[in-house]
Amino acid sequence: MRSLVPARVHLGPVVLLAVLTLSACLLVGGLPRALQASFDDALHAALRGAPALQTDLLAQVEPPGAPNSLRDPAQFAAADARLRALLPPALRPLVLPAGQGTSHMSAVTYDTPVHGSSGRSYLNVGWLSDADRRVRWTEGRPPGAPGSMTYERESIPVFEAGVSEDTRDKMGLKVGSTQILGESDYAAVKIVGVYAAVDPADRYWSLHSDVVRVTETHPPGSLEVERHATALISAASLTRLDGDDRNLVYTWTLGLDPGAPTSLGTADVEAAITDYERAVTVEPATAAGRYQLNTRLPELLGRFLAAQNTARTVTILVLGGLLAVAAGVIVLAVRLLSERADTALALARARGASLGRLAAAGAGPVALAAVPAALAGYALSWLVPGPPTPLVHAGPALVLAVALGYAAGRPVVAHRAPLSERRDDVAAARPPLRRITMEALVVVLALAGAYLLRSRSLAGEAGDDPFLLVVPVALTVAAALITIRCYPYPLRLLVRLASRGKAAVPFLGLTRAARARPASVLPVLILLPALAVSVFASVISSGVDTAQRQAAWQAVGAPIKVTSRVELPAGVVERVRAVPGVELVVPAQTGQVQLGYTGERAEAIAVDVAAWRRVLEDSPVGLPALPASGLPALVSPELHGRGTMEIGWHARTKITEAGVVTAVPGFFTRGKFLVTPLRVNARPSVNTLLVKGDADPAAVARAVGQPLAVVTSQAAELAAIRDAPLTGTVRTVLGITTVALAAYALVAVVVMLVIGAADRTRALAFLRPLGLSERQARGLTTLEILPLVLVTALVGLGLGLALPAALGPGIDLSSYAGGVAVQGYAPDLAVPLLLAAGLAVAAGLGAYVHTAAGRGRGSGATALRTGDLT
Amino acid sequence: MNPTLSELEAQAGAPRAAFGGDAHIVCDNLVRIYKTEGVEVVALQGLDLLIDEGELVAVVGASGSGKSTLLNVLSGLDVPTAGVARVAGMDLLSMTAKDRLRYRREVVGFIWQQTTRNLLPYLTARENAELPVRLAGRRGKGRAMELLDLLGVADRAGRRPGELSGGEQQRVAIAVALANSPRLILADEPTGELDSDTSEEVFDALRKANRELGVTVVIVTHDPLVAEQVDRTIGIRDGRTSSETLRREGAEGQVVAEEYAVLDRVGRLQLPRDFMNALNMERRVRLELESDHIGVWPAREEPSGEQ
Repeated sequence: MRSLVPARVHLGPVVLLAVLTLSACLLVGGLPRALQASFDDALHAALRGAPALQTDLLAQVEPPGAPNSLRDPAQFAAADARLRALLPPALRPLVLPAGQGTSHMSAVTYDTPVHGSSGRSYLNVGWLSDADRRVRWTEGRPPGAPGSMTYERESIPVFEAGVSEDTRDKMGLKVGSTQILGESDYAAVKIVGVYAAVDPADRYWSLHSDVVRVTETHPPGSLEVERHATALISAASLTRLDGDDRNLVYTWTLGLDPGAPTSLGTADVEAAITDYERAVTVEPATAAGRYQLNTRLPELLGRFLAAQNTARTVTILVLGGLLAVAAGVIVLAVRLLSERADTALALARARGASLGRLAAAGAGPVALAAVPAALAGYALSWLVPGPPTPLVHAGPALVLAVALGYAAGRPVVAHRAPLSERRDDVAAARPPLRRITMEALVVVLALAGAYLLRSRSLAGEAGDDPFLLVVPVALTVAAALITIRCYPYPLRLLVRLASRGKAAVPFLGLTRAARARPASVLPVLILLPALAVSVFASVISSGVDTAQRQAAWQAVGAPIKVTSRVELPAGVVERVRAVPGVELVVPAQTGQVQLGYTGERAEAIAVDVAAWRRVLEDSPVGLPALPASGLPALVSPELHGRGTMEIGWHARTKITEAGVVTAVPGFFTRGKFLVTPLRVNARPSVNTLLVKGDADPAAVARAVGQPLAVVTSQAAELAAIRDAPLTGTVRTVLGITTVALAAYALVAVVVMLVIGAADRTRALAFLRPLGLSERQARGLTTLEILPLVLVTALVGLGLGLALPAALGPGIDLSSYAGGVAVQGYAPDLAVPLLLAAGLAVAAGLGAYVHTAAGRGRGSGATALRTGDLT
Repeated sequence: MNPTLSELEAQAGAPRAAFGGDAHIVCDNLVRIYKTEGVEVVALQGLDLLIDEGELVAVVGASGSGKSTLLNVLSGLDVPTAGVARVAGMDLLSMTAKDRLRYRREVVGFIWQQTTRNLLPYLTARENAELPVRLAGRRGKGRAMELLDLLGVADRAGRRPGELSGGEQQRVAIAVALANSPRLILADEPTGELDSDTSEEVFDALRKANRELGVTVVIVTHDPLVAEQVDRTIGIRDGRTSSETLRREGAEGQVVAEEYAVLDRVGRLQLPRDFMNALNMERRVRLELESDHIGVWPAREEPSGEQ
């Protein structure tokens, strides 16, 4: 109950402390959860976006001979059950049961040539356990049991099979036709039906792409196209499908549930896959064959982890700053509370109270305010959706520990020697050697860390590196220490100037700021990181913003782009031009061109480059101009240095290299490509329109009226990049952090003013009888506080702007910016400047208002007694 | 012969010398009542005081007798509830804020008891001494050095208070108080924290300022060493001036101190408490007018059936 008394008396500081603790616990508990939730969303989006071939676990075996072949779907199912039983616990919840999602079994031949096609047509046959729900029959009937026929005096199996519509069209396999497969061991395929995929866009088809469409390739050095397709056979045909005769693969696909993995568990999943691979490999599949586990999930997860690590680095860095600043402000609030009890504690100590009692007396009222607030903040943070990371628990605990530790420790340190002569107002004594050494150590460590950081990146393969993560915070603290140590020196020059003038206020204020012991070390240690981290956050945020814009432009290449697989007639161009909001329409033709007379090909776009440059006028991307004469071309770095080359498009033409571009916005980013004037073809067949203006893309699509045309817009692309789960959350986290830091900085300034109030009143009580006017008093307070705040603001601003550069390659935000590397971190100085100026103005105004408000109290006779200890 | 009505009228209308005349400090029936949370504390209960220009006066009294309140009123930091308080012709009751500021800047200088609170710790002795001049918007370098020299601390001009002894700090404080060439210096226990030798030094400095610069000095003190060396010691009891001790040099050079009780304008007199106790005087006394004095006797024992 005794601790309740001071709590009631000092209601203001107690409430402040409670609010600060609650907000800090909520922020450090809630933000990591939100982040982690967004990481999970991003992981799920990445898995859903990836083809099943990359995410699923494929246990495969090539049966070496007829005795080992599986003849019955039940045998496949039994093997499937055995394989699933081997799954490690970490993988079991992630894998979908057989028949769900992409989980299925298959027996498919590969590289099965069509007899007599000279190796240009391959028709594999395959059984898919879930074919009945994956395809629908559009012609003929589903295949039935196999038969036999005699071919070249041998009895060969005849498989009834169905092909996809694409295969029927491209390979000419009509229903009723029969194909002989193989070059030595023959088999016949009788086409009995044609099917279409129920959902052609399903990621499932990445596992069997040539079941639904023909794969066409250009073998190196050949001008001919090679076609591969797979025909579906019935389960009954398994009885005649042997590994002896052809290349046969049995596959058990353990489909991954894309929504199941969590970003926290990715490392476990990778380890579990390794375990599973070992277990599967030693499990005998058939008498002679052994399973092989094929999956690209570890690579996928690895890539995701790398992207996530860079994202986490920045956010943890910012959150670390937030935690440090919050802890600092809380310490300041605790100090405000505990300084009020100082006299009582000094007396208690003098009367014989033990240090333990003092610590308890100091911590009691603080605990009353901080513990419920911390618990409330922690509880509220559970309302934020997302999985709890260690920081979620550690953050609030740390905040509470700091508050209680400081509350208990401060009286102990302050009253260790009872009634010692403590003079807070005495002019700067020389700092003790121990302290200088400590400060020098912090500075050296921070610089060494920064050096290490530059030489290796923050998020290496090893994941988080706690020491390197501490570096930015250490740099900030080092900057704060240097500021505190050094700022009086330039100030002394000002003092010298001020002492020549006759005005008393600048002289007094500056002298005090320059010579008095820096009583406000703690506020500097709070303000500087707060400003630095919030400037850092806003710079990063605006950097991401710029990069996102750039990525969107890079992806589309114009405000609106129309691409079509067929030619767009001149009438379409006119109609698009007439759409409201369209300023300029630039027609272009894209295609593949032959380089010289070889099989070498390059992507090309023929366009009026000058007009396109006008379209890109206000965008962050661009193209160099082309000379007007001849047939100049911009080429990719791979084609650089060839000078004049001959290309085969509609006709054969000679073009001359006029410049090198690493990317063509909206079209090419790698490989061989070139940009030529539209006149490269005598009669250009326009298939692309680049549209400038803020027209409605839907209206443009209506104007084009071509169902095969695709309309994309820069705005839609930008929205898509911005709405990506990771990006949105990171921007929100950076935004919230900036606001929270600014708020903490303001609280720090106010608390600093309140803590210093007694000192200031004492000084004013002395100066007023000497003839200090009210105006002078207000000016004096403002001048006393302003140099430090100004210097802090400037250093914080500089540090915040320099941090991204200092961390340099350590921070890669490309995953937030649609893959475009975020560079040139300081495009927008407005927000950082606003933050710094806001802080300085708030501090100055606070000091002014505070003195003005204290006027009535300070001017009476009480002034003479203020601070009277007797 | 009784005066006629017209004579009385003329007498009333004739200019009469005000109380205290042209004295430097005039306090007439000064009352100061503090109200704190409903409790009224009467710190000054009709105090009268006259001090002439150039005087060196000590004010003594028990704790709570009203010394500090008087000093606050005189320094212009506190406003009395009623009565008259005038210093160098300025009425302390009717001053505006601007007058008050001018009063502090030009008329009065102040010295506190605590040596540390008289000086700003981050300024040197000379800068401290220049400060009042600067605050008034003037330059005062030469004056500050002159004062430090006069008070014997010129060699400490570049030192900060932390590097000075208590006596040196108080002498610098006197220089600060004198910096604006005030006509009155108020010192609240200036030697309270010092040993007797240092007290002597500081008191000498004050006396020097008084003699050489002609400044009126009022010292509130408990220190008998100080109280016994000034020309006049004023005792305050229960918010009133109760006694005065005058010192003069006798014929043989020795100091003769004579203690007087103070008689106010309406004839009130405070009897020293030990006198009253010795004769068991209570509630009422008997007065008898003699040819050259007034006798005060304890009240007679009344017969029990007085009523």
